[in-house]
Amino acid sequence: MSLLAVRALSRSFGGLRALDGVDLALAEGEILGVIGPNGAGKTTLFGVIAGSLPPSAGEVQLAGRHIGGMPAHRIVRAGVVRTHQIVRPFPHLTVLENATVAALHAGGRASGPAPSRAAEVLEFVGLADRADRLPGTLTLAARKRVELARALATAPRVLLLDEVIAGLAPAEAHALAALIRRIRDERGASIIMIEHVMPAVMSLSDRVVVLDHGKRIAEGTPAEVVRDPQVLAAYLGPGGAP
Amino acid sequence: MIGRIPRGGAAGCAAAVALLAAAPVVLDLTPYSHNLLTLAFLMIAGALAWNWMGGYVGQVSFGHAIMFGIGGFVSARLVLSGALPAPLAWIAGGLVGGVAALGAHPMLRLRGPYFSIATIGVGEAARLIFTYWESFTGGSSGLSLPIDPILKYQLYWWSLWLAAGVAAASWLMRRSTLGLQLLAIKSDVEAAADVGVSATFYQDLVFCLSGAVVGLTGALYASYFAYIEPADLFGFDRSIGFVLMAVIGGLGTPFGPILGAVVFVLLRQSLLATYPQLYLGLYGGLLIVIILFEPLGLTGLGLRTARLVRRLRASRSAARAA
Repeated sequence: MSLLAVRALSRSFGGLRALDGVDLALAEGEILGVIGPNGAGKTTLFGVIAGSLPPSAGEVQLAGRHIGGMPAHRIVRAGVVRTHQIVRPFPHLTVLENATVAALHAGGRASGPAPSRAAEVLEFVGLADRADRLPGTLTLAARKRVELARALATAPRVLLLDEVIAGLAPAEAHALAALIRRIRDERGASIIMIEHVMPAVMSLSDRVVVLDHGKRIAEGTPAEVVRDPQVLAAYLGPGGAP
Repeated sequence: MIGRIPRGGAAGCAAAVALLAAAPVVLDLTPYSHNLLTLAFLMIAGALAWNWMGGYVGQVSFGHAIMFGIGGFVSARLVLSGALPAPLAWIAGGLVGGVAALGAHPMLRLRGPYFSIATIGVGEAARLIFTYWESFTGGSSGLSLPIDPILKYQLYWWSLWLAAGVAAASWLMRRSTLGLQLLAIKSDVEAAADVGVSATFYQDLVFCLSGAVVGLTGALYASYFAYIEPADLFGFDRSIGFVLMAVIGGLGTPFGPILGAVVFVLLRQSLLATYPQLYLGLYGGLLIVIILFEPLGLTGLGLRTARLVRRLRASRSAARAA
């Protein structure tokens, strides 16, 4: 049985169907890539799964338990957490305090005092030496790691990563891709990642789902997906396929 | 980051409280000073509790007079009925104030200016309701309480303990994981929800605690002045007073509202008699200056001065070394 199951999920904004009957399944220990052109509904998908947006229709199940439509803070406690494409650290809290706030909401999946669990997460993402800094004094790459640390501090079963690699210099991008793999291998979190940086998606993902105009248009291994004529049409326009 | 006290700060605070506790006996205070200090202690407690909501959570309430008035009138009725000894009547007033604060739940979905405007409306509605509810509040002629002069004298210490207790609670709240979550809600309510912080729960909790303390403050105030009327306890001036004290002292800082309350009470008393119109103008001016130049109020000014002194000292010792 899949760990996270999304069935016929829809979300409309007025007349715009940002998500239109999307089905999706994430297996335990899997890294699932989500790609698609701008406006395909990828971030809306994360918003609905994480509880920031209520779904218009459809359901979300975590290990058989219905979580669709729950408020975000309860979904975090259930074990699903998201990061933001544009990082949103709490600016007046130190890096350690940022992670500590999140560590308070691990929902019984972790034991020990929140500050020490937060410190452990900072060690894991490589921010231990910057624990007492304010996020505003860090580089973008480091702030992306703060965003990751905060999500990891909730001891998630499912981690939703919204473009954590995009916008980074190649060396940092490689380091972060390696970190994402370690999150799956060493912390046991299953991951859905939205990413525009194709080499990263292709090398990290076990499977890839392609969204376009709120619909799932393809699914398969990275190699299958890039050859799919519908995917090429979505990215390059009809007739763009060689 | 805000609110680290220097080493020995706790000892200093304890010494200040001890000094104030000894003052009436040692210094043989005039009734005027006795009065002024008691009022200052009560306003310190109220301003600190207001700051939990307005400063820590960032939800600026212009309606805290509701809880102040409810605490005052509930305790006054209990004292008048003779059913409870005064201290228990005060606690009951505080509890009812806390429960009444939970009524803010639907408003707490609003944030920022929308919340503030809603509290103005509800505050004014409450003032009118309690003014016309003559069987409970005595209407515009108010209530007189049979307060024993000894109890009135002792209220100096009760008020001091209350202020000291609320100050300690402010400090602990700021340092605790609760304080971190409140700051997270204040800076980004959605990002906070995305890491598991329920703004609804913590706002209700803090508003309830803040309302209970303000209710307790109102109860002590009612007994101390022995005469209360809805126009004073539920008045808009009362609500504005809490906002001003916290903002003048330093919004969101754990101890700033203490400074703000002292300045507020002193200015008000010294100007009210001589220039009754001037003091409101002065507050208005002070508020504009603070919001424009020093968002952390007197606390910010103090921190800035300390930094300046340190820099001057450093450059002087560097000059001497060279």
